[in-house]
Amino acid sequence: MSRVAVLGGGGFGQALAVAVARTGKVVTLWSRQAREPAHVNILGTTRLSEVADAELIFVAAPSIHVDGLARALGQYLDGTHLLVHVSRGLLGDDLTTLTQRLRTATPARRVGVLAGPLVARALAEGEPGGAIVGSLFPEVTEAVREAIGGPTMRIYGTADVVGVEVASAMVGLLALVIGYAQGSGFGPATTAILATRGMAEATRVGVACGANERTFFGLAGFGDLMAAVAGDGRPESLFGRALADGLPLADAAARAGAFVEGAGIAAQIAAFAERHALEAPIAAGMAALLSGKVSGSAVIAQLMSRPARGE
Amino acid sequence: MKLLPTKPLRLPRFRTYVPAPTDPKVFWFNSERDDIVADVVRRILERHQGDEDIELCLNDAAYAEIRRHEARTDEGSKNRLEYWRGIVRRLSRMSSEGKQETLRECATKMAYDVAGNFDPRVYKFAAKVVPGLLTAVMNPSSVLRSLLDSGARLDELVSAQGPIDKLRALQRKGTIVLAPTHCSNLDSIAIAWVLLREGLSPVVYGAGKNLFSNPIISFFMHNLGAYRVDRRIKAMLYKDVLKSYSSVMIERGYHSLFFPGGTRSRSGAIEKRLKLGLAGSGIDAFSRNHSRGIRRPVYFVPATINYALVLEAETLIDDHLKEAGRHRYIIEDDEFSQLERWVSFFSRFRALESACVIRFGEPMDPFGNRVDDEGRSLAPDGRTIDPMSYVTHRGHAVVDPARDAAYTRELGESIAHSYGVETVAMPTQLLAHVIFRRMVRATPGLDLFARLRHRGDIAIPIDELAADLGHTRDALLSLEQRGRIHVDSLLRRESPQRILERCLATWDGYHLRPVAKVVSGSVLAEDPNLLLYYANRLRGFAIELASAANDADRAAARDIEVMELRT
Repeated sequence: MSRVAVLGGGGFGQALAVAVARTGKVVTLWSRQAREPAHVNILGTTRLSEVADAELIFVAAPSIHVDGLARALGQYLDGTHLLVHVSRGLLGDDLTTLTQRLRTATPARRVGVLAGPLVARALAEGEPGGAIVGSLFPEVTEAVREAIGGPTMRIYGTADVVGVEVASAMVGLLALVIGYAQGSGFGPATTAILATRGMAEATRVGVACGANERTFFGLAGFGDLMAAVAGDGRPESLFGRALADGLPLADAAARAGAFVEGAGIAAQIAAFAERHALEAPIAAGMAALLSGKVSGSAVIAQLMSRPARGE
Repeated sequence: MKLLPTKPLRLPRFRTYVPAPTDPKVFWFNSERDDIVADVVRRILERHQGDEDIELCLNDAAYAEIRRHEARTDEGSKNRLEYWRGIVRRLSRMSSEGKQETLRECATKMAYDVAGNFDPRVYKFAAKVVPGLLTAVMNPSSVLRSLLDSGARLDELVSAQGPIDKLRALQRKGTIVLAPTHCSNLDSIAIAWVLLREGLSPVVYGAGKNLFSNPIISFFMHNLGAYRVDRRIKAMLYKDVLKSYSSVMIERGYHSLFFPGGTRSRSGAIEKRLKLGLAGSGIDAFSRNHSRGIRRPVYFVPATINYALVLEAETLIDDHLKEAGRHRYIIEDDEFSQLERWVSFFSRFRALESACVIRFGEPMDPFGNRVDDEGRSLAPDGRTIDPMSYVTHRGHAVVDPARDAAYTRELGESIAHSYGVETVAMPTQLLAHVIFRRMVRATPGLDLFARLRHRGDIAIPIDELAADLGHTRDALLSLEQRGRIHVDSLLRRESPQRILERCLATWDGYHLRPVAKVVSGSVLAEDPNLLLYYANRLRGFAIELASAANDADRAAARDIEVMELRT
């Protein structure tokens, strides 16, 4: 019986399983279709009941599937389980976080989110790096540290769960936006202004959700965004570049090679910001662009013509 | 009244009361009081083990107490001042045993000061007479009939809703921790009365010491199990004693009540930021019991107390607006202490059917799970699960303060969520909401305080207001159908015109300033502060309540919801 399980056979789920397996622990990897395990310590399964044997379960599924998956998994769980998701998604226009959804869809209460500059390749290859766990429960952070922490992975912790979740979702969106700008031929100055003003926007949204401002300046916020800007090859950046190349949404998604949360997040953030009278011009611009209402150059022109005030 | 002693009185007892097996747990309180205090003190001593720790704790207590007593001139304070100064002088020379003994002595004194009393005679007396007295106050013309017809009118005025049969069953299976919203000092009286009437066990609760300043109320509260919480005492030791006391009470199976809002809601809005110290003691009690193999469940029951008219509305909203809430944490001179306001308050209710609706929410275990009629915890898919699994780590039930603090925060969110859906919208709240929305529409671009200065100069034709009220009521009813809120029966049934008249009649004459009045066919918003107070209860629903077809209404509603973030 393994103490750790990973739910989701996508690229990130597999990389997480490899990261656990590399530390010498046995890990159960659940996916819808049976797969050949990538490591001897990985036990592949298609039965959720086997996942429930683990103490710590990573949920590595796109946010749109988390609800259904959590309900199905919830039938096998109780209060002893620790659930940690790695999604960059938020649900609905009220930005329900996935930890909230895990809490309502399953009996598990000790939940958390793993975020920061993590990409599948680096995780699987054991490149030195770090990540952050947002959880109210110190034992959840400790369990993640035990599972994937080690000489190549530093795991930090914070109790600002909503901060990590909003920051991670906004970084996904900003990576997409920056990918688009870079793909359109804009240079480092454009990247810098999109990154800094984008993070200011993220912070406003986060604070309105109850997050702590500081979280956005740490691993979950700027730390993660730096990795995206430096070109860690994450799907969001690839998706943005593909859009800039003029590909339609479906083709851009295919080129990105993974589900990209950022596309849906833009519209959700824009709606949330409107309801709460917050300024979120980058999210609103991207939402308009993705819905096909305006062109990329019109969005850039609109962003640049906004009155600039004190920072 | 001023000549009466402020220390709670107890009646002399000539024969020991032997509780019947069917009596609620609290009937055993007096015989267990010494044990409870000893338990509390033991726990405090366990928490402060080392010499340095004890010294720090005593120094902190002495510093806080000396500061408090220095500001007072009465004889008692002088003695206490000497006592604490003596401790400070001796502390550095004390042996380890001496320090422990001093800590034990201080904690014991504090615990006895906190501990209440339960006198079954007072309980039985109150059960018989109080409803009649309250009814008499409400309707002075029929004092005699009221006294004979004990509580009949009060039954109509204070109604109870929710899973009451289930609560009756659960109180026999585990310990109930009631967690109601708090907007008036009448809350504890209304709750106590409803528990009694519905055959639910009395609860113990921590009442602010300022409530004990009225000797009559003090007598009843003290003898009905309330324990005293003196918010003026800032010593950490005292806070520890309070927490341990409530935890020990829950551990021993005493049904308890606490107000998670901490203090009365100043703004009139439903509490969102909860103070969970005492909820934490519920979880602490659960995990301590389970780690010792005692499998007595703890059930948290959120409840909303909804008034059509709030006794202290004027003081509360003024306090909120002055942002003086923090400085005036203990309000001692509000309407609660003025008898004439009580009479006027109760007499106003004649215009309404239900003056106060107490709605109990679904009981939950300490981890926010629903429970069934048998008291078993239910997973979201309806399976029964063992609540012990939440305090288990790798096969063992353990006490873990960091983990329990996290559970407490999550429980707070579950309670706050329950407050939202269990709110019962009262007619005065909806009318105030509609008038306030019109005020916001009439003052675009202004901030809240500028809007509140528009006293009496916003007039809404009655027909227009009634139509507005009708539409908004429909929106409210559709929210109710979706399980988002509940609606008071009068509000559901009556015509908008009639609701308007009844609300104005209810406000009129109770509040010192008219809230709204009719002048030549229009309703004038006379007191924006009070309108804001009553309207605040529905603030979180503003956008859903606004007419989708009316842009001005929607813009105003958005302003009202945003106000929530900024005030």
